[in-house]
Amino acid sequence: MSGPVLAAVLAAVTVLACLAVLAAPSRALPSVAGAGAGVVGAVGVVYGVAAISGGLAPVSVGWLVPLAGLRLAADATSGLFMVVTGAVGVVVGIYTAGYAAHGHMGRTPLSVLPLFLACMLGVPLADSVTTFLFLWELMALSSLLLVLAEARRREVRDAGVWCAAMTHLGFVAVLVGLVVFAAAAGAEGFPELSASAASLSPATRSAVFLLTVAGFGSKAGLVPLHAWLPRAHPEAPGPVSALMSAAMVNLGIYGILRVDVTLLGPGPRWWGLALLAAGAVTAVYGVLQAAVATDLKRLLAYSTSENMGLICVALGTAMLLTASGIPAVAAVAMTAALVHLVGHAAFKSLGFLAAGAVAAATGLRDLDAFGGLAPRMPTTTAAFGIAALGASGLPLGCGFVGEWLLLQSLVHALPAGGTMVALVMPLTVGVVALTTGLGTAAMVKAFGVGFLARPRSAEAERASEVGRAMAVGMGLAALACGVLAVAPAVLAPALSRVLPELPAGAGTPQPRLGALLRLPGVGGSMSPALLALGVAAGVLLAFGATQWRARRRPAPRTAELWACGGGALTARMQYTATSFAEPLQRVFDGVLRPDVELAVTHYSQAPYLVAKVTYRSRLRDTVETSLYTPVIRAVAAAARIARRAHMGSIHAYLAYGAAGLIVALLVAR
Amino acid sequence: MGLFAAIRRVGRIAEPAPPRPESSAAPTLVRGSLQLRHVDAGSCNGCEIELGGCFSPVYDAERYGARLVASPRHADGLLVTGVVTRNMAQALRDTVEATPQPRVVIAVGDCARNCGEFAGGYGVLGPVSDVVAVDAEVPGCQPTPTEIIHVLRQVTGR
Repeated sequence: MSGPVLAAVLAAVTVLACLAVLAAPSRALPSVAGAGAGVVGAVGVVYGVAAISGGLAPVSVGWLVPLAGLRLAADATSGLFMVVTGAVGVVVGIYTAGYAAHGHMGRTPLSVLPLFLACMLGVPLADSVTTFLFLWELMALSSLLLVLAEARRREVRDAGVWCAAMTHLGFVAVLVGLVVFAAAAGAEGFPELSASAASLSPATRSAVFLLTVAGFGSKAGLVPLHAWLPRAHPEAPGPVSALMSAAMVNLGIYGILRVDVTLLGPGPRWWGLALLAAGAVTAVYGVLQAAVATDLKRLLAYSTSENMGLICVALGTAMLLTASGIPAVAAVAMTAALVHLVGHAAFKSLGFLAAGAVAAATGLRDLDAFGGLAPRMPTTTAAFGIAALGASGLPLGCGFVGEWLLLQSLVHALPAGGTMVALVMPLTVGVVALTTGLGTAAMVKAFGVGFLARPRSAEAERASEVGRAMAVGMGLAALACGVLAVAPAVLAPALSRVLPELPAGAGTPQPRLGALLRLPGVGGSMSPALLALGVAAGVLLAFGATQWRARRRPAPRTAELWACGGGALTARMQYTATSFAEPLQRVFDGVLRPDVELAVTHYSQAPYLVAKVTYRSRLRDTVETSLYTPVIRAVAAAARIARRAHMGSIHAYLAYGAAGLIVALLVAR
Repeated sequence: MGLFAAIRRVGRIAEPAPPRPESSAAPTLVRGSLQLRHVDAGSCNGCEIELGGCFSPVYDAERYGARLVASPRHADGLLVTGVVTRNMAQALRDTVEATPQPRVVIAVGDCARNCGEFAGGYGVLGPVSDVVAVDAEVPGCQPTPTEIIHVLRQVTGR
């Protein structure tokens, strides 16, 4: 199919899906909504595959967007992002059919869901500044509507305000950046911008770079612009948080990749360094917050921030190495970024879907109140386990291949790159290693404390397995995780077309993602399939050996669990998420700055005996409190001053209008 | 180097091993070394001090394959000291129950054997053998480390 036909099909399917949800009878609403989102996602996958295969003609519709018209074009890079978004959309669609049946989402959010998905599919297609900004803003607005699905709760409204403010500040940054770019280049189509980028003055280019990276970075959750992400993603309903965390944040990376790496780049070395530094700070800060978080979805949201940081580290490394003249290693770093992006989409959508299932079954999100879900919700437990394995970046998890490639690129860049590279790369290796280690701790906590052992609350005790639609949705995502973990070769055809389009990958031998991962030029190879085979063989061997030994073992007997002589074990003796993370919180005290209150009350007659100990520890986002609070206070103070001018008198407003007109006429004279 | 210097200065202070005891009073149940968990069922702490001496460098019971561990789950046997008080009776039963079989229970000291000095006390339930099955006994109030080790060697067979 050609480009215009696909674009028309996508638009038509989206409109039909939205209308169908609005018109569907209440009984059929969940199925219709799920099917609508699923079909839009499927169209996106088809469109993306067609784009990766190449040869789609650009689409231009002059009458659709005022003044500029709608311009769409699809290359392999757009195609990759569309396939990822579309696939997440299909999975989320199937899941939504079950999730909405619980009555967790009203008709309005369900009708916005296909539109949101279509906007995310459209952003990578945009081929001009106007189209891009239009679709970007539409995506932001629809995501805001979805975040506010449960607006009756106060936290949701707070999250909505944060989301709206941060998204639009980011939008303003992108808007100004792209407008400066377009004005300096004298055109607004992406091909024209790309052609004239090299002739711009370095100051303009750097200004555009900084503005757009800030704007896109706020969407991807880069520190310190991440504050909205761990608020909005947890408060959204399950399927929506999966879409936002697995697909929408990717588009922040897409923006950086499209505008800063492809259109503006290749740039000076400090661009790569800046991106690398932002990514490194985000990765460590995100994973640290994830490690001490007790809210399951907040933990996952911080983990999203962390993984976007890692992807930015990979992108920054690729830019730095391209600028330093080591293209072979730069291609490895770029591959790492793309592979990790796809892997993250798989495990994070699965993680949020499983968290949504738990939230639907128990009505809770607090890890301290979970526990004992494994026998009650086996499918969900298995799904979350696969997601946690992926997020911890260990072999057999789908985050492993990307992180391995990233480490390879960092290690092999050493000898050839000069002083700067020789200084930066070992530090970055340390950052990635710390991130992976803490990420594993966070995921062990989420899985072990949340799903294993005994239930810590009545809600967790009453939990029961989710319905078939939700299980199928999670199963599909788990399948994707498994395939990406064991056979990253499935990405090879797409990456072989995407890499030549990017500055880092053009004209160098690419990493070969076969059954054996080979990195030409840097001499590293690894086989996830063989690793998986080895682990499977080891597990089978251990199992067989224990079975064989068990023949000579005396017969088992039933006895009370040993509780150090203190009576029967209770759920209160278990590790909670807070206690599990306490050592980490102590180690990173200076960064996390927990708000701890400890009050010991003694008996008045016997001062050596303690009557009561009250301990309260509250963790706030340090960056948020130290950076945003002063800004918010200043804005509020400015607003109080500005309010004096708004006294409600029509005469005053007329005078303001007249004065404004006179000033405008004087300035524009 | 302070540690190594101290080791050289002190040298070997363990007493020479007495000859191996003849027959064993308790069944030899363990093939390897004997891992022991100590339970204080209501002792005056005299036996504890002597037990501490048993595993000190001077008497060094570990030479004969007996070792203290921190949980009945790790243990082959229990060393029970003192009379069984009402508050410790259930804990003692639970600890014996938590020790994997085959297991050996050794009552250390006169109190553990027949309530000794504390017989008839208001909080005393009785000797250890009233509460759980006892396999070996160490008489004495309090038994010296040599006497305790004598019985331990009978059990380990070394």
